[in-house]
Parts: sequence; structure tokens; C-alpha cells
Amino acid sequence: MPSLEISDLVVEYSSGGYAVRPIDGLSVHCDPGELVLLLGPSGCGKTTLLSCLGGILTPTKGRISFGDVTVTGLEGSQLTEYRRHTVGIVFQAFNLVPSLTALENVEVPLRAAKVPRAQRRARATELLVQVGLKDRLQHRPGDLSGGQQQRVAIARALALDPPLLLADEPTAHLDYIAVEEILRLLRELASGERVVVISTHDQRMLPLADRVVELVPQFGKAEAAEPEVVHLAAGEELFAQGSFGELIYMLESGEIEILRQLVDGSWELRATLPAGRYFGEIGPLFGMPRSATARAKTAAVVTGYSVRDFRQRIGPQGMGDLLSHAGDAPAEASAG
Amino acid sequence: MLVAALRDLQWRRRRFLIAVLGTALVFSMTLVLAGLSASFVNEVDRTIKTTGADEWAIATGATGPFNSSAVLPAGTLAAARRLPGVTAADPFVAIGATIPGDTPKHVTMIGAVPGGVGSPKVDDGRAPRQPGEIAVGSRLGKDIGDTVQMGDKTLRVVGTVDGSGLYGGMPNVFLTLQDVQGLTFGGAPLFTSIALRGNPRGNIDGARLVTLTQTKKDLLQSLGSGRQTINFVGVLLALVAACIVGSVIYLSALERVRDFAVFKATGTGTPALLGGLAVQAVIVSLVAALIGALLALVLAPIFPMPAEIPTVAFLVLPVVAVIVGGLASLAGLRRAITVSPALAFGGA
Repeated sequence: MPSLEISDLVVEYSSGGYAVRPIDGLSVHCDPGELVLLLGPSGCGKTTLLSCLGGILTPTKGRISFGDVTVTGLEGSQLTEYRRHTVGIVFQAFNLVPSLTALENVEVPLRAAKVPRAQRRARATELLVQVGLKDRLQHRPGDLSGGQQQRVAIARALALDPPLLLADEPTAHLDYIAVEEILRLLRELASGERVVVISTHDQRMLPLADRVVELVPQFGKAEAAEPEVVHLAAGEELFAQGSFGELIYMLESGEIEILRQLVDGSWELRATLPAGRYFGEIGPLFGMPRSATARAKTAAVVTGYSVRDFRQRIGPQGMGDLLSHAGDAPAEASAG
Repeated sequence: MLVAALRDLQWRRRRFLIAVLGTALVFSMTLVLAGLSASFVNEVDRTIKTTGADEWAIATGATGPFNSSAVLPAGTLAAARRLPGVTAADPFVAIGATIPGDTPKHVTMIGAVPGGVGSPKVDDGRAPRQPGEIAVGSRLGKDIGDTVQMGDKTLRVVGTVDGSGLYGGMPNVFLTLQDVQGLTFGGAPLFTSIALRGNPRGNIDGARLVTLTQTKKDLLQSLGSGRQTINFVGVLLALVAACIVGSVIYLSALERVRDFAVFKATGTGTPALLGGLAVQAVIVSLVAALIGALLALVLAPIFPMPAEIPTVAFLVLPVVAVIVGGLASLAGLRRAITVSPALAFGGA
């Protein structure tokens, strides 16, 4: 019975010369037959994680194994074989080939696996019947509704009966009726030895899941927290680039350096903040990772505010000013 | 992924059809140019064959019997007839002339002794037997019974020779030696070469012998740069064809980037994708070659210059088409190779 094991996974890439880590030290275990939800907002690394699970993206560090296969150790034709026989992928935008009929789209992985024509056709037909598209076999994607296209995409992902099914925001482009059909179908598919991993930002899918992996930490208590005063010694780090945080800081005394890590591991000084400046607001406001590291240049005292307290403190006008200058250098230097 | 390639051809059929027609037109021009180049050689062969001579004697400083205006001394004819191996020898004149009219026509005027060596073998009618008669190359557009005005002489057409001409379609006209001498040398019994029959051996004072091969080479030499230009343009046209096919395949590859990513993500190997693209390019090229060949058959007869497309050109064209298709698909192949399967995860 193959289980999915993700250990200390790190994915790092370059964005404008800066190092970005959408996934930093993730470890997850999934048992056979489980439906796993990867939950989080856009940009939190859900798709990146799916790409790694699908053998499409090689992580920077860490290990992924499925059953006896160490996915992170595969290369070249082994990866192609893994993608072909072990993984089925349902893409967010369906990604059906527009020139092929529904039947031919489902046949794509079967052709790649060199399944004989008669068997190929029988299997593709069987799957399309299974997903309720018996009378749409010869229709092209352009002639199908969004829900029907997604069902064809699911049939394609199941063509070679893979034990690992990955679905990237499978309901993102669907109306609520189609969503219901697709959710029911995906739930049914997570059975026996098959592991189904679904990425979504839609919390309504939570009841479906056997396991939920939240890729962004939840800070439920932060809204009601009291302001937190932090004393920093010179050189001490307040928060790190790529980490998630719930507090927005006001520098009461001393100086804070805002640093951003480059791809080569070196640091770029973005700004040195004097007393009286707030910083670190974008990440907590928008649920994103910190875009830079904040470190005390001198001994410093900072006060951390929850998002709600921060809003109250600067008022609606202040929020407007903050957001309208979010792309400007000073705000950028505030380390998100 | 042959099926995907074929379905894509159907899916984008209008674009591919435009590419096919454009390429077909280019291929047809390539064939017509090949025909043009071939006709230069063919007309020389025909003209030489029409005279029935085995060799010629020409003035020492001349290059060939059809390009020489240097007259031979009177005594050379008797000397030529005495050469070992010569069974017959007659005086011969070939010289440029113009037929006046609304549109003056330049011709090569050939004078030979009626019934002698050099007298033309005609395809229709008969060769001139007496002064006042003329046989013409079919490209002159005259029929038997028509008259042709040359200088102060009005000549009656008694025969035609199919496709007889020189220098890229300039028609030949065949007169009696006496008429040519009258028009050219004021009636003096002069001649520029001697048409020989047999296998002559030895030398003639003041003259030299030239074989049929040398004669052909001499005539083609004057068209050398023209033929080179035509061949060069032919290669350029093949490149244009490759560019047309290449651009449409590349454009198709650009639009199918997401498809390629999905194919790769679902386990299709890169070679299968590349094969599909190459097949597309080759199919477009081969269909274009077929249509181009048919188009060339239509265009060649109405082309202002003679274009005799050799059979070998039709046979080589599919090979050229496959090469063109292969080259044309390179840019698209390169694009397909670089597509990351991760792209399939992108949103709509």
C-alpha cells in the first residue's frame, strides 16, 4: 500500500534576483486512500508542491517518496515513467488539447504508454462513461461546458489508473453545480490504494478531506492580541524573510535594518529604519510571507500590533496611503 | 503524438492552407526556373542535332560555329573535304539577325546548302530547297505558307522545327546558304564554318575542328551567368519555402506551448512531440510540393521564356520538400524542447 511521504521539503527560486522560498521545511505523511487538501491562498506554494509531487519540479532540498519510489531521486526517463504510470494530474484550467476530441484527450497518456489501439479506445470510453460523458465522446473541448471539460481532464488523469492523483484548484473555473459533481467524483476516487491530493484556497472543501495541509500558518488569536513589546540587541533578528507573521511592528527606539537575501545567499540592505517607523505590514495584511528580514542594527525596542490594532492605529486614511504606496521603495523596504 | 499533430493540422487548417498555397507557389517557381535552366541546354542540343553535322571547321580564332562572324578562306572547304574520315563537308553560316515588324524579333539566321550537311531536319513541312524559302523555329510563331521579311528578301515558310532556338528562347531560322550570303555578305560566297560529316582527322590551315561537345559548351558558356543566376534564385526560393513553412510551424508551436507542457506532464516523451511537429512540417511541404508541381505544369507553357521542366525535377521536389520541412521545423522543435511541463499548472 503506497503512502506519500514528504520530508523537510524546501523549494527556492529566484525572483528578480532575490531568493524566494514558497515551501520551506514542509513535512507531510499521507496514507493510501486518503484525500489530502493543500490549503492556502494564492502564492503560498500549493501548485509548487503539486509540481514537486508530480515529478515536474525538483525541490531545492528535502525528500518526496511514494511507496517504494523516491520521487526526488528520479531523473530523465525515470521521471517520465513516474509521470506516466504513477501520477495523474488534473490541472486548474482543464488544459485539454483543443484540437482533440474528449476521447482523444483521454487517450493521450495511453498513447504515451503505447497501449494498443483497441484497449486504448476501450479504456478511454470506459473512463468517460464513468465520469458521465457517454454522449460527449466525440466532442471537442470547445463544445463542452466547464464541468464537462474538468470531468474529461479527470478521466485523462485516471487513464493509466495512477495510484497518486493530483488536482490543482479543480473547482476554480466551475459554477456551483459543476463544483458539486467534481467534488463528489474526487471524493470517490480517493479510495483503495489511491492518494488524492487537491490544492485549493476554497475552505468549503474542508469537509471532503481526510487530511488538511495548511501551507500558511493560521493566526486566529492575533486579532485579539495585546501589543507586544520586543527588546532587541544589536544584530538580533526580529523576523526572517519567507516566514509568516501576524504582527506589524512600530520601531520605538534604535535602528532596524531591512535586508533581502539574494539568490547567491548574500544579503542586500534595502533600508535602515529610524525610530518612529512602522514595518512588516504587508505580510500580515495579505497573508503572505515576509519579503525581507528585519534585524536590529543597534539595540532597539519595537512594538508588535495585530492587524486589527494596526488598522485602528493608523485609521482608514492611513490604510489607504499605505496600500497606494505599497509598490514604492519606502513601503517595499518595510519588509512585508 | 502523430494524432495530435494531424488533428492540429485540421484545427488550424486555414493557416496551414495559406502556408501550403504560399509554399506551393514558391515550389512552382522553383520548378519553372529549373525548366528554364534545362531549356537552355535542350535548345542547344536540339539546334546542334537539327543540323546533322558531326563536327565543324571554324576560323582559328573563332569559338564556335554559331558564335563566329569570322569568315573562312575559300580554300578551306576543299581542304576539309580532303580530310581523312570526312564523308561530306558543306559551308555553313550562323549569324544573328532581326526580323522587322511592330515588334522586331531577334533570330539566329542559319544558312546551309540545301540537302547538304547542316541543312535542317524539320518536324513539319520540309527544309528550304531554293532561295526564297525558309524553315523556322516554332517559337517564331509562323506557320507553313506564311512569309517572313528579312532585309530586302521576302521568304516563304516551308517548314517548322519544334523548339529550335538559342540563347534562352531566341528562335532559329533556316535559309539556303545563298540567301544568307545575299543578306549578310552582299552575295559573296563567304561562310563562317564548314559542317562536316564523318570522323575527321588531321588539320586544316587557317581553321580548326570543333566537336559537338565543344560546340555545345561554347553555346552554353554564353548563358553561363544566366544559368548560375537561375540556380541561385532556385536555392533562394527553396529557402523562402522553408521560411514560410518554418514560420507557420513555429507560430503553431508557440500557440501549443501549453499543450506541449500538458503532454510532457502526462508522460509523453519529448521525442514524440518533436516527431509530431516534424511530421506537420513535412506534410505541409509535401502537399505544397504536389500542388506546386501541378501549378508549374500550368505556368510553364505560359511563361515568356521556354521552360522545359525535366522529370527529374519533379522527382527531386518531394525530397527537397522533406528537407525544407525538416529545416523549417527546427525553430518549432527548439521551442517544444524548452517547454517545461510545469507550465501546465498555470491558470487559464
